[in-house]
Amino acid sequence: MPETNLLEMRQIEIQFPGVKALDKVDFSLRAGEIHSLLGENGAGKSTLIKCLTGVHHKDAGTIILDGKEVQPQSPQNAIELGISTVYQEVNLCPNLTVAENIFVGRQPMKHHQIDWKTINSRARDLMARFRLDIDVTRPLSYYSTAIQQMVSIARAVDIKAKVLILDEPTSSLDDNEVKLLFEVMNDLKAEGMGIIFITHFLDQVYAVSDRLTILRNGRLVGTFGINDISKVELVTQMVGKDMDTIFNLKRANVSPDAPYMLTATKIGAPGQLDEITINLKKGELIGFAGLLGSGRTETAEMLFGAKHITTGEISIEGKPVNIAKPYDALMQGMAFCPEDRKLDGIIGDLSIRENIALAIQARRGFLHPLSAKEQNDLADKYIKALGIATPDAEKKIGELSGGNQQKVILARWMATEPKVLILDEPTRGIDIGAKAEIQRLMLEMCEDGVSVIFISSELDEIIRCSNRVIVMRDKEKVAELDGNTCTQSQILSIIAEGAASAGGIAQ
Amino acid sequence: MKKKFDLSSLMRSKLTWAVVAEALILLVCLLVRPDFFKISYQPSTGMLYGNLIDIVNRSSEITIIAMGMTMVIALGGTDLSVGALVAVAGAIALKFMRWDVTVYNTPGDYSVYPFFLAILVPLVVCILMGLFNGLLIAKGDMQPIIATLILMVCGRGIAQIVTNGKQFTTGYSPFRVIGQGSFLFLPMPIIITIIVILCVSLFVRKTAFGTFVEAVGINRSAARLSGINAQMVIFIVFAITGFLSGISGLIYSSRIMSNDSNNAGLNYEMDAILAVVIGGTSMTGGKFSLAGTVLGSIIIRTIVTLVYYFGIASEATMAFKAIIIAVVIVLQSEPVREHFAKRTRSRSQFARGGALK
Repeated sequence: MPETNLLEMRQIEIQFPGVKALDKVDFSLRAGEIHSLLGENGAGKSTLIKCLTGVHHKDAGTIILDGKEVQPQSPQNAIELGISTVYQEVNLCPNLTVAENIFVGRQPMKHHQIDWKTINSRARDLMARFRLDIDVTRPLSYYSTAIQQMVSIARAVDIKAKVLILDEPTSSLDDNEVKLLFEVMNDLKAEGMGIIFITHFLDQVYAVSDRLTILRNGRLVGTFGINDISKVELVTQMVGKDMDTIFNLKRANVSPDAPYMLTATKIGAPGQLDEITINLKKGELIGFAGLLGSGRTETAEMLFGAKHITTGEISIEGKPVNIAKPYDALMQGMAFCPEDRKLDGIIGDLSIRENIALAIQARRGFLHPLSAKEQNDLADKYIKALGIATPDAEKKIGELSGGNQQKVILARWMATEPKVLILDEPTRGIDIGAKAEIQRLMLEMCEDGVSVIFISSELDEIIRCSNRVIVMRDKEKVAELDGNTCTQSQILSIIAEGAASAGGIAQ
Repeated sequence: MKKKFDLSSLMRSKLTWAVVAEALILLVCLLVRPDFFKISYQPSTGMLYGNLIDIVNRSSEITIIAMGMTMVIALGGTDLSVGALVAVAGAIALKFMRWDVTVYNTPGDYSVYPFFLAILVPLVVCILMGLFNGLLIAKGDMQPIIATLILMVCGRGIAQIVTNGKQFTTGYSPFRVIGQGSFLFLPMPIIITIIVILCVSLFVRKTAFGTFVEAVGINRSAARLSGINAQMVIFIVFAITGFLSGISGLIYSSRIMSNDSNNAGLNYEMDAILAVVIGGTSMTGGKFSLAGTVLGSIIIRTIVTLVYYFGIASEATMAFKAIIIAVVIVLQSEPVREHFAKRTRSRSQFARGGALK
């Protein structure tokens, strides 16, 4: 193709202590192109990006931007060169207004004073470009994560970037928001910007990108045109194994006369959840489908005592229990992996060992500590069993990749040998290999007689794993389907029905 | 792979630099006064004397409080009320020994109420005040710095009320032992400090309490969802800090055999926080080091001693102290440590011919 490359990275090498993070990787980006960067966690995607944004410094290789060789020294330097990045986690100040966030650090001045008028009007124009009609003088925290994400993209775009890097921008967005983001991306592409798009959602890769580059274990697998590689082939290339072996999972086998492990009768709280009833059998896996905010997370939190219920009752193995706080739930043999791993799951500065031992220790009380040996055995056991990628158990959990963090949280709860395991979006933002492994672990636990509640936004994994599917909408349970027979379109239409009727009311 | 002594990670540790700072200060002291390290034995009191002993002895009050403060800071908070609690403890102790000064109008070797009340009641009151702090923070969800500001301000007032605004003195000899007595040739405050350090360390590290404190300090929500009773952890930490402030208050008032509601424990909160920070515990909470805190407290006291030895005018002591502390903090700062760590690393690479692989 005659097109010249906007950005070219040649033979990039980065050496970390003990590992070669990138080994002679080539990458190129054209102007007006959306280029997906794919690979499992630890494949070197982030390292490559960080090399480009000046966080890491390359040991060998060249970076050519717009025909000139560049050496980004720091993120600030990279921005000056025209390389803007939007990270997975929103890196903005929630207490500042939307406009302030967009212009912080480069406020337009007038008579030695900040020109608020210009800031606000320019911010409004910018948001209009993103098809968002919001009040830019409200604090950022007032808006949803999706809008916050848009604001951070707006900020990155407004810096007159030539290259825009989007690192997992969609992991906290729902379908409509993703669609909106894609429209914006296409607009930017039409303006001649080069966009590097990193995501774990393969459908999105196909929906929006022009080309894709696959990395595996720090090496380049190849760069392909989007029409030149099928999804199956893509996964095979990413993981190094083919898809059937990865997702060779079997639904849990529940005998019809299995006893009820957990029954929640009409539990709820005003404004949060509308009296929902759940009957979970021993060894059964119930999937919860529904949009964000449909009451899925509230159900999980109420079952685990993280939120108070005002009505209804919960019984475990037929005995009514009083669960007022997470500790009570823990004592009843329940376990809960929360939705927001970073905010509610990991204790970032503690080691993997301490994180795994935490729930058991909480159950025993601090006066009966696990010995150093018990802790080490526990950590070693689960690092091996769950395949947690780490040099040793003393590494801080905060330094692990998302998938491995999730495995550690899972290990924390598996170690308590729970009767009921509640997983809220356990596979969000982690790569396909780790995803499959977590699903496998979940199903294995069912085989061992653990009852699982599995909440996910991805319908295919809900259908793949669940014995029964509960569909949530507007804070209530709207359907309960048989996991063996239900289909994705069936669930979608149930969810959409509500959306349509809600739309009807609005009109 | 065997574990090797790693100079680069040693350079990166805050504790290393605290040791370096202490050594430097002592070196300066030695240069100013060649007999600085001299320790002598006084048979009449059965105690060892010397500057080093004195430094440790005088750092006792701060060290004891800083043990609790370390955990408070590990939780991500600060306790400003400790200094006021020192005054409260002293006032109550003296009140029980003298009770009604118009009746018992000369201070002497007596105690109006049984001695154990003069010890027990101040400690219990301090624990209750600590629990009050904990209540505001755990249940009221107040920021620790604001919650403890309440007792910081009104604590000294309470101390005044207890003694009707008077300064009591006593000559009661059992009370004198706490601050001025000796045991095993060492001043009693040192002995008490050692016992406190041992008890707190054992409690924190031999049970899982230390881990719980760190977990709550790093991520309270995640700790709670893991089944940890975060509120209880906060209660216990503030109660312990109150209790330790009480002990410190008893030592202080025993040294002067009096209560001094205005000056007892003045600025102790700042010194205790400083000791914790010099010891390498981050103000943002999380991992903490009790050993570091002990060292931090001793450094602060050594600086004060150094100031005396330089013969600096008393008006300038605070400024001088501040300058040295600033130097210590800069030595421990991230860029400086990183700089030295890098230098040692590159030097060792050079020594091995630059070929690591």
